[in-house]
Amino acid sequence: MKIELDYLTRIEGHGHLIVERDGDKIVNCRLQVVETPRFFEAMLQGRHISDVSTIVARVCGVCSISHTLVSLKTMEKALQIEVPPQAQLLRRLLSYGETAQSHLLHLYFMALPDHLGVPSLFKLLDSKQELVARALRLKRTANRICEVVGGRSIHPVTTCLGGFSARPEASELKKLRQELVATLPDLEATVELFASFEFPAFNRQRNALCLAPENDYPLSSDNLLSSNHERFPVTSHHQRIEEYISPDSTAKLARCEGDCYMVGPQARLRNGQQKLSPMAAKVATALSLEQTTLNPFENLKARLVEVIHCIEEALHCIDELLLRGMGRVVTPNIPSLAGEATAAIEAPRGTLFHSYRFNTQGIIEEANCIIPTAQNLASIEEDFKRLLPQLLDLSAADIQHKLEMLVRAYDPCLSCSTH
Amino acid sequence: MLSDFSLKFQAEEQPERPLWRAIQSTEILHFVRSLLLAYDVIGVQKKRGRLVLDSLQDAADLVLEFPPAVHSPKKFLFPHWDQLFRFKLDENILLEAETAAPPRIIFGMHPCDLHAVKILDDCLFEGETDSSYRAKREATLLIGVDCTPDEFCFCTSLGTDRIAEGFDLFLHKRDGHYLIQTGSERGRKLLQDHAPETYDGPEESPLPLQVKQCDNKIKFPFESLPNLLEDAYDDKIWQELGHRCLGCGSCTLLCPTCYCFNVQDKLEISMQEGQRIRTWDSCQFDQFAQVANGNNFRSSQADRQRHRFFRKYKYLWEKHQRTACVGCGRCRRECLSEIEPVTVLNQMFADSPQPAETRPGSEYQPQMAQIIDVEQLSEKDRLFRLRLPQSIDFTPGSFMQISVFGLGEAPFSIASAPDGGNEIELMVRKAGTLTQALHRSRKGDSIGLRGPFGSGYPLASMHGKDLLLVAGGRGLLAIRSLLQAALADRHNFGRITLLCGARDIEALVFPEDLLDWHRSELLDCRIAVKDPDNSWGIPSLDISYLFKDLDIDPQRTIAAVSGPPEMYRQVNPLLFRMGLAEENLYLNLERHMKCGLGKCGKCQINNIYVCECGPIFPYSAIKHLGEAIER
Amino acid sequence: MKMKVGLFDFAGCEGCQLTVMNLEDQLLQVLQHIELVEFRELMTETAEQIDIAFVEGSICRPGDRQRLKQIRQRSKVLVALGSCADNGGVNALGSDRTPEVLRQQVYANDLPHLYTETPQPLSAVVKVDYRVPGCPIDGQEFLAILQALLLQQQPELPAFAVCVECKLAEYPCSFDYGQVCLGPVTRAGCRAICIDGGGHCRGCRGLIDNPRTSPYHRILEQHGLTVEEILDQYRTFNVSEKAP
Repeated sequence: MKIELDYLTRIEGHGHLIVERDGDKIVNCRLQVVETPRFFEAMLQGRHISDVSTIVARVCGVCSISHTLVSLKTMEKALQIEVPPQAQLLRRLLSYGETAQSHLLHLYFMALPDHLGVPSLFKLLDSKQELVARALRLKRTANRICEVVGGRSIHPVTTCLGGFSARPEASELKKLRQELVATLPDLEATVELFASFEFPAFNRQRNALCLAPENDYPLSSDNLLSSNHERFPVTSHHQRIEEYISPDSTAKLARCEGDCYMVGPQARLRNGQQKLSPMAAKVATALSLEQTTLNPFENLKARLVEVIHCIEEALHCIDELLLRGMGRVVTPNIPSLAGEATAAIEAPRGTLFHSYRFNTQGIIEEANCIIPTAQNLASIEEDFKRLLPQLLDLSAADIQHKLEMLVRAYDPCLSCSTH
Repeated sequence: MLSDFSLKFQAEEQPERPLWRAIQSTEILHFVRSLLLAYDVIGVQKKRGRLVLDSLQDAADLVLEFPPAVHSPKKFLFPHWDQLFRFKLDENILLEAETAAPPRIIFGMHPCDLHAVKILDDCLFEGETDSSYRAKREATLLIGVDCTPDEFCFCTSLGTDRIAEGFDLFLHKRDGHYLIQTGSERGRKLLQDHAPETYDGPEESPLPLQVKQCDNKIKFPFESLPNLLEDAYDDKIWQELGHRCLGCGSCTLLCPTCYCFNVQDKLEISMQEGQRIRTWDSCQFDQFAQVANGNNFRSSQADRQRHRFFRKYKYLWEKHQRTACVGCGRCRRECLSEIEPVTVLNQMFADSPQPAETRPGSEYQPQMAQIIDVEQLSEKDRLFRLRLPQSIDFTPGSFMQISVFGLGEAPFSIASAPDGGNEIELMVRKAGTLTQALHRSRKGDSIGLRGPFGSGYPLASMHGKDLLLVAGGRGLLAIRSLLQAALADRHNFGRITLLCGARDIEALVFPEDLLDWHRSELLDCRIAVKDPDNSWGIPSLDISYLFKDLDIDPQRTIAAVSGPPEMYRQVNPLLFRMGLAEENLYLNLERHMKCGLGKCGKCQINNIYVCECGPIFPYSAIKHLGEAIER
Repeated sequence: MKMKVGLFDFAGCEGCQLTVMNLEDQLLQVLQHIELVEFRELMTETAEQIDIAFVEGSICRPGDRQRLKQIRQRSKVLVALGSCADNGGVNALGSDRTPEVLRQQVYANDLPHLYTETPQPLSAVVKVDYRVPGCPIDGQEFLAILQALLLQQQPELPAFAVCVECKLAEYPCSFDYGQVCLGPVTRAGCRAICIDGGGHCRGCRGLIDNPRTSPYHRILEQHGLTVEEILDQYRTFNVSEKAP
């Protein structure tokens, strides 16, 4: 038997699934990442630092905000530019918006059809109007955060080195706040819906890595934390994390201390559950997500918990901004310094690293990006190997479906991972 | 016709005497707060760190001292996105036109912008009133406020730095407070209802018109702009501007009086219904003058810039006797290529041929012309052929002033066609002392002449058309000039028809010419006289009878009607019934043109000087003038 | 019969498809009038025949060419979605080097599956009927173009420059801050969103039909900027296009 599925659907980017089986033995089982290399790291060479965030945003439409923010953070670190508190809050708000919209897109449009037995949510336009409308409403609200703060939901236009080049009016934030509050019933309905699904039991021990939850839930920190309770600075990531090339993938894969590892919602929940917002913590309990859970299929639940966390935290962010009073945007002078730095941010799919080196004219000489999905790829393949023996009694179509669901559960972003 | 509405605006709404009242800043705040409860209040305010003109949410946000750089109130009176009506696609039905406008107050308009509204009124109430504009205009109260010109303003050169009427209220800045002036009954009532007076002192005395200072100045009287441009159509400056211009259209979009628009259909997302909307367009855009086959009749940026200047300073002047520019400086302020109208106009003026240094009073001094022939046309009429010291250029319908020293001066239509030479023919009918004296002149004598004056028939624009010439009595003078010119260039015209009417044969001015034309194959000449016992034995007819079996193609006919006003009242409806367009009918509105220089006022019809703008006018240009042909 | 509409993607960030997705309630209404038959990112379904295909991304590998040709064969109308599909977009930013050099710089490896060619717009391979410019596209413009196609009209793009949008929206001019800006020569339709965001125009929507190059260069000089600076910005999204 041979399963060859070209162009997996309902994932971001291009990948093929290949399973070959000889009797009871799996002889070949691979997720091929066939996304076209676009060579962003090479393209950045020779570009001025003021253009970098605009260019790297184009690595990925779904997580353009994370790429923008981490690239700014990296350059600000290299140039020792202090980001004012208002801008920090706005960036945080922007991140919450992106994570919520990315997760909601995945939960409703990519993953949900598997659980409802349809090829796409659009099939339910007539039979489940309210469900589709709710999905779009929720996504709308999450995108509104990005629009109000970033000027546009994809490829933000208000962000710049040192902070923001334009900021929302207090009245816009107030309006956004009302919209966020209004989504709570939709969120409740979403929790109910996902609580009703059964997920395949498939637990596997592995290392889970994310930025350290220092003052709050993992988002932006200078340290990393692994589920093995190891804490190490982001700047020393290359001592543990190693990128490597596989003949099956145009994306570079990564291993941590020689082994595959997991990043993303489940990793963050595992290492930072105690920092969840109150509402999200309740939902985590209701969905019986334990700190020890590392069933990749349950990534969906973790994602939902994070959506709630993001919305709740976004409300707090807005309140704090309004309480402080919206001040003018201040754009700092960019010093003419050479620099080199690495920074990381928690993107929707996990820890995203950017490293740059630039000369005194501000021209990039070297750049590197380590993408969350690239870090998960080895883990997915490892899951294949462990899961397949449990599926051998199923038909080829069912095997294929289970494997697709497994891949989707990671919400891989393949165009991003290859970049 | 100027719409009744705008007349009403100016006439009935003007209170008998403006009220003047001091008002403190805190009172203004209360005033605006109260207005906000009843109106959509538009004002200058800070949004995202920049000053914009927009709907106010909070009275405290209103900025009254603002630079001239913000958008003009055109944004609300003639908005960029304006729904004309809604439609349903499948049923093909039109829903009601969108004429409703919210009750609105524009709080804080500089004098130049108030002038700009008058220009929009001129243009949009002219002819078919623009109902969408009208709805907004009616529902909007205008509150003016003093300004401080910046380096781009040139309102002082156009007289738009001050304003006496055209607002409902006006706020004059004084030391630490404002003096509010009412400009209309509506304004007075607004003040009464929303800013009840708490202070019980004496009424403030009116301020004189507030005059501003601008460093940016047009260095010649703005009244000469139309003539300056007239001669500058082929000026090299347009090419130069064309090379500098980006074609971005900012100048016209921000102009407070530019209103050219595009009309588009926008479907709703349902694709069941939609709206027809109009959006601002710009004569500076590549596509503006493009027609269906891809041709562009204003294909270069130089043409487009010229069009903009001509429209601002000439075309609309000719229609409304004011420039369509109020000197607000917005076009220059936002122009990346720094195209500055004042610089352009001053340069054009400096480059234009300046009249030789003239002695004071010389414009009234005639030059001497020799009589080279005298022909007795009838008992009372003599035709004089005169030779001038230099060649004379004029259009048919122009006139000369003949002087007889000791008796004075009188205007006479030129009866001959312009031929580029230095001879003209003038017909003199013996009536008063001056004409009697002229009749005594002999061949070889010299007489005084001034002119030519006035603007006649636009001969070149009649090329390729059929001409219908209608003359009554002495109206034939101007028509003869036109006819001779057309006959001299016969192949450039289609059919030529001359209808000539008079009381009796004696009243016909050029009987011999008429008989010649009647026999000629070059034109169709018909004559009607009312006198039943006429010496030619033709039946007694009224001129209207000549129209009975007249066969004209209204699409390609230009009519020139010249005679007394009662003839126009009789003939014009006949022509329009045949389908002639108003702009293709030319009337001769000769009046007693004493000075010929647009000064003495004797020939003035309502607000226009016949000697300057006429005596030949297209009907469309004078139909709104009550004194032109009505009694 | 509802028109069958498909969305397809090649090398790119998928941001343009996501922009379509982000139309949310408007998308829901649009779905009353079309049948969405293929959209790999969100659907498993595929279709034999397509009335209107929107194709995102640029063409970088022989396999891409094959797949694009098949999409063309299946589609009555093919529309390039976003600047990557329209002119190569940001993907072409590395075209000053050969694919081998790029490969060495990023992978330091020469495995065959990493092979690419210089990114090309769709029009280099198949006939493109219409285009939706921008990086990313503007959702409302996409809707207007889709509407026109559903009514079998010719979709039209604005012919004027981004400056117009700035003036209408009362945004301050980038040049006043000594910032290079491609607004005066770039096709409008984006509502000057970058300038609203406090930035400047990088020309992601491509040039207007008749950009006034020499006045534009003069303006740059007057503001102490160089043509090279603007070209550097312009290249971000328009490497393979004619320079302003």
